[in-house]
Parts: sequence; structure tokens; C-alpha cells
Amino acid sequence: MTRATCTLGLLLMCLPLQRAAAELAISIVVFDPGVPTDLSLHRDLQVFPRIRRIEALFLPFVLRETLAETSEWGAVRVVPEPDIAAELLISGTVVRSDGESLELQLLAVDASGRVWLDKNYSGMAPLSYEQSDVDSGLSGYQKLYDEIAEDLLIARSNLDDKALTDIVEISLLRYANQLAPTAFGDYLTNAPDGTFRINRLPAENDPKFERIKRVRGVEYVMTDAIDEKFKELHAEIASTYDLWREYRRKYAQYRIEEAKWLQNSKTDAPRGSFEAMQNRYDNYKRDRIAAQEQEKWAAGFDNEVGPTIMRMESRVAELDGWVEQNYEEWSRLLEEIFALASGLAE
Amino acid sequence: MLRITGMLVLGLLVAACSQQPALDFTARSYQGAMPADLSGSWERDYSRGDDVNGVLAGLFQQLNRKAAQRIPSDPRMGTAQATLSQREASSLVALARLAELITRPDILTISQNSYEISIARKDDFSMLCEFYDGVAKGTTSDYGAEVCGWDGDQLVSHLILPDGLIVIHRFTLSPNKKNMRVTTTVSSSTARVPFTLNRFYMRFEPPSSEFNCIETLSMKRVCSTGEIVP
Repeated sequence: MTRATCTLGLLLMCLPLQRAAAELAISIVVFDPGVPTDLSLHRDLQVFPRIRRIEALFLPFVLRETLAETSEWGAVRVVPEPDIAAELLISGTVVRSDGESLELQLLAVDASGRVWLDKNYSGMAPLSYEQSDVDSGLSGYQKLYDEIAEDLLIARSNLDDKALTDIVEISLLRYANQLAPTAFGDYLTNAPDGTFRINRLPAENDPKFERIKRVRGVEYVMTDAIDEKFKELHAEIASTYDLWREYRRKYAQYRIEEAKWLQNSKTDAPRGSFEAMQNRYDNYKRDRIAAQEQEKWAAGFDNEVGPTIMRMESRVAELDGWVEQNYEEWSRLLEEIFALASGLAE
Repeated sequence: MLRITGMLVLGLLVAACSQQPALDFTARSYQGAMPADLSGSWERDYSRGDDVNGVLAGLFQQLNRKAAQRIPSDPRMGTAQATLSQREASSLVALARLAELITRPDILTISQNSYEISIARKDDFSMLCEFYDGVAKGTTSDYGAEVCGWDGDQLVSHLILPDGLIVIHRFTLSPNKKNMRVTTTVSSSTARVPFTLNRFYMRFEPPSSEFNCIETLSMKRVCSTGEIVP
């Protein structure tokens, strides 16, 4: 069982107050695939939109695993939508992914609105498939993920315990404010720069706040179920993804070797001869066939993992929909309960 | 930016060759839907079309005639100068051989959507025509450039290769859409005239297989007698 996986009975143990202040819970939102809206650029930039969409779902989980393995954090979850009340929210965009290199633009912001990271990370794939981290399913860019993990630890080390405790409290208060704005609307101040400051804290054992914590606990259970789906997705497509990445890496190497080969294969045939013309035509033909072969691999990859992605997306949408639907209901009920308790109901 | 650069390169390449009338550039943009739907499977109609040797012989005759007309009627000049030079003849034969080679595929599989036409040919690369918002986008590489356009309802593909070598394919559908003519013109800066070959194709329905197949990455082609959900 991962740290993120809690059952209802263990909910209270999973709540933020039961852990060290430094062990913030991290939510990693599904990445932006970074696909240019201008379709005409896709071929030039070697962007395969459907594969980028898969990477956007797949790569956050690799980061999640890296962060969870450090044992430095609370629950680390992949979430389909940004959770604005997350203690630490990481969002990212796939800037480049071509088999040889991966570039991610990452933004990490805590619940108080403080920016921890806003940086581009890029990494090169290992030289060969055998050297990559295929067995661990980490897709060969482990150094990149390690660098992100390291930077997060550095960013955290700049904060004292008070600041970290504040983040946890602000996170819960932002959640409370979202769920029951009437009761919790004035606990925080939202500064013009987007940061949040605590005005006051609820009393210890405040029954309203306890209810909010319980609701959040239930939501976490559902979030963990969603996170589990990302884990399943990762387990199912990791080997195919690595194969795709390996194909692309080999393709990139092939292009380099091909360029060298073509340089050396210039025909001595006189200009205007059939041999010279055929050489020009064949060079172009080779180049195009190689590029078109790569598109065939992309389609093959998509065909292979497509059903898994569809199943996963449908289950995540179901779970997410359940949370959203109940969230509204909880919000309405809590507002009513709090109004009654405060004697405000007419 | 890449798109603009690509267009610019193509524009320059085409402009560089613009002295040859056969290379007049066709419309690079259109409005609304594509002017014609070429999609489908096409097989060569061997009962029609040009014979390479016949076209070549006709071209030689025509050029010799022209050469003869240019020679003033001076009896002191021999007849040898009234024919094509050996070099010109060789270049023309080379163009004919290349045209013959390029037009060899007997099956064309054309897929077309709202912005792209792909013409798959056996043992050759697939010709690709991309149009974004009705504007043609070319493909450029170190080895050449390719761009398409529409001339009325004819699709015209230009392939520009080094040494002034240019290949133009013109696809014309018959009024009943069951036949297609592909006119291939090969020209070179080393030859005075281009060489053109006409090939005809008939639309056909590929035989239906009892297997449904898809390409996969790890297992290559996967076939099943049942339905395969990609």
C-alpha cells in the first residue's frame, strides 16, 4: 500500500495534522501535452498529438513515483484537474519529447500561492535501451525527475516549520472556503499578488472544521482511487512507451548516420546522367520513407495503447464525476448545517 | 516560423526554375472543401497511357525538326548540326528513364481528409499534400522539397530535387470519377525540354479480407477474424 492509499478507517491518520510539517501532500496535475494549435507545425516539430496526450497522462506518474520514493513527502498523487487547495500543486507542460530528449516546463505552487519551481527541465535518454530504466518503468529520464525532486527539497529547505505548517493550514482553509464559503470565508486574506495569508484559525475541535476535514478525507479516498488508475495505466503501457521512445531514439540516430552516409555516397556520375538523377531521387525517397516509417510507428503505438487509455480515461472521468457531483452536494449540505448551527437559517 | 521558412525555401526553389514553362506554379490555396476527392484504391490501366519509347521518339523527332528549322539553308553546313547533340540526347533519355522509373507503381492508394492527401505507392515514398486553411504546406529536407497545389480540380504535386531536377505529377479525375490520369513531367536544368508521361488508373475495390488487421508497435501487424478495436 502506498502512502497515498488510505481506506476510510484510516482517514484520520492520513489527514495533514498527523504528519510532520515538512511532509506536504503533493498533487501533480496531468501535464499539458504542449501540442501546438497550428496543425501545420506538427510534422516540422515532430509532434505526434495523440502520443503527446498519452505522455501527458503517463509522465506525471513517473514524477509521482520519484517523489514518493524519496519518503520526504506526504501523499503524492496524480490528479486529472488542478486542485487549487492542494498543499503543493505541480503542473507541467511537455515542451519536447523526441525519444532522444525530454523537456518539461514545470510549475510548483503551494497552497499559500508561493512559487517553488518555475523552470524548464530537460534530459537526454540513455545511449541504449539496455542502459535505460526500463525495468523500473521510469522511461529513461530518471536524472531529470531526480533533478526535480532535488529542487523541490531545496525549495522546501528555504522554508521554516512555521511556513510549512501555514501551508498545510492554508490548504485546509482554502478547501473549507471552497466548500462552505459562508462559514469559512473570512479565515484567509487573498492578496492582489495571488498569495494567501491566514487571518485567524478555527478553534481546536471546531465541529465545523472537523466536518470539513472528514469531507476532505472522503475526497482523498476518491483521489487515491483516481491516482490508482494512473498507476495502472503506467503499469500497462510503460513497456510499449519505452519501445516507442527507443524507436524514436533510433530514428534520430538513423537520421544522423543517414546524413553522413549521403555525404559519402555522392555519385561520380556526370550531372544530367540517369545515374546522377536516380541518385538525387533515391536520396529524397530514402529520407521520406524513413520519416513515414516513423509515422507508422506512431500509429502502431497509438493503436496498441489506445484501448488502455480509453478505459483509464473513462474510469477517471467516472470517479472525478462522482467527486464533483458529491462535492456540490456536500457543499450544499454543509452550508445548510452550518447555517442552522449558527442560527442564521430563517 | 518553420512554416514560413519552408514556404520561402519552396518559393525560391520554384522561382529559380521558373524559366521553364512546364513548372508554372499552380494555385497554392483554395477556399472551402478540396476541389476534388481522389481517395480510394487505383490500379494501372495498361490498355491506355504512353509508351516511353514512343514518347521519346516523338520528342526526338520534334526537337530535330526544330533544330533543322533553326539552321539557315546554307548548303555548306552539314546535316549533322541539324540534329540534337549527343549530350542533349543523353539527358533526354535520362529523363525518360527516370520518368519511367517513377511511374512504375501499378497501384496507388490515396487517402484524403479535409487537410491532407496521401498517395501511397508500392516501393516508393508516399506523396503528401498538406493544406492548412486551404493553403498548401510543403515538405522540405536536405534532399529536396515537395509541395502541392490545385490547378482547377487537378491536384499537382511538385518535387524539387538538387541539380535542377524537378518532378511534377498532375492528377486528373475523369468526369465519372472512375478513372484517373496521372501526368508525370520530369525536367532537369541539363535538358532543354522536359519529358512527360501519361499513366491511367482505374478505381477498384480492394478484395475484402476475412481478417481485420492493425499495426502495433510491439507486435507489428496484428490480425484477427473478429473485430479489432484500435
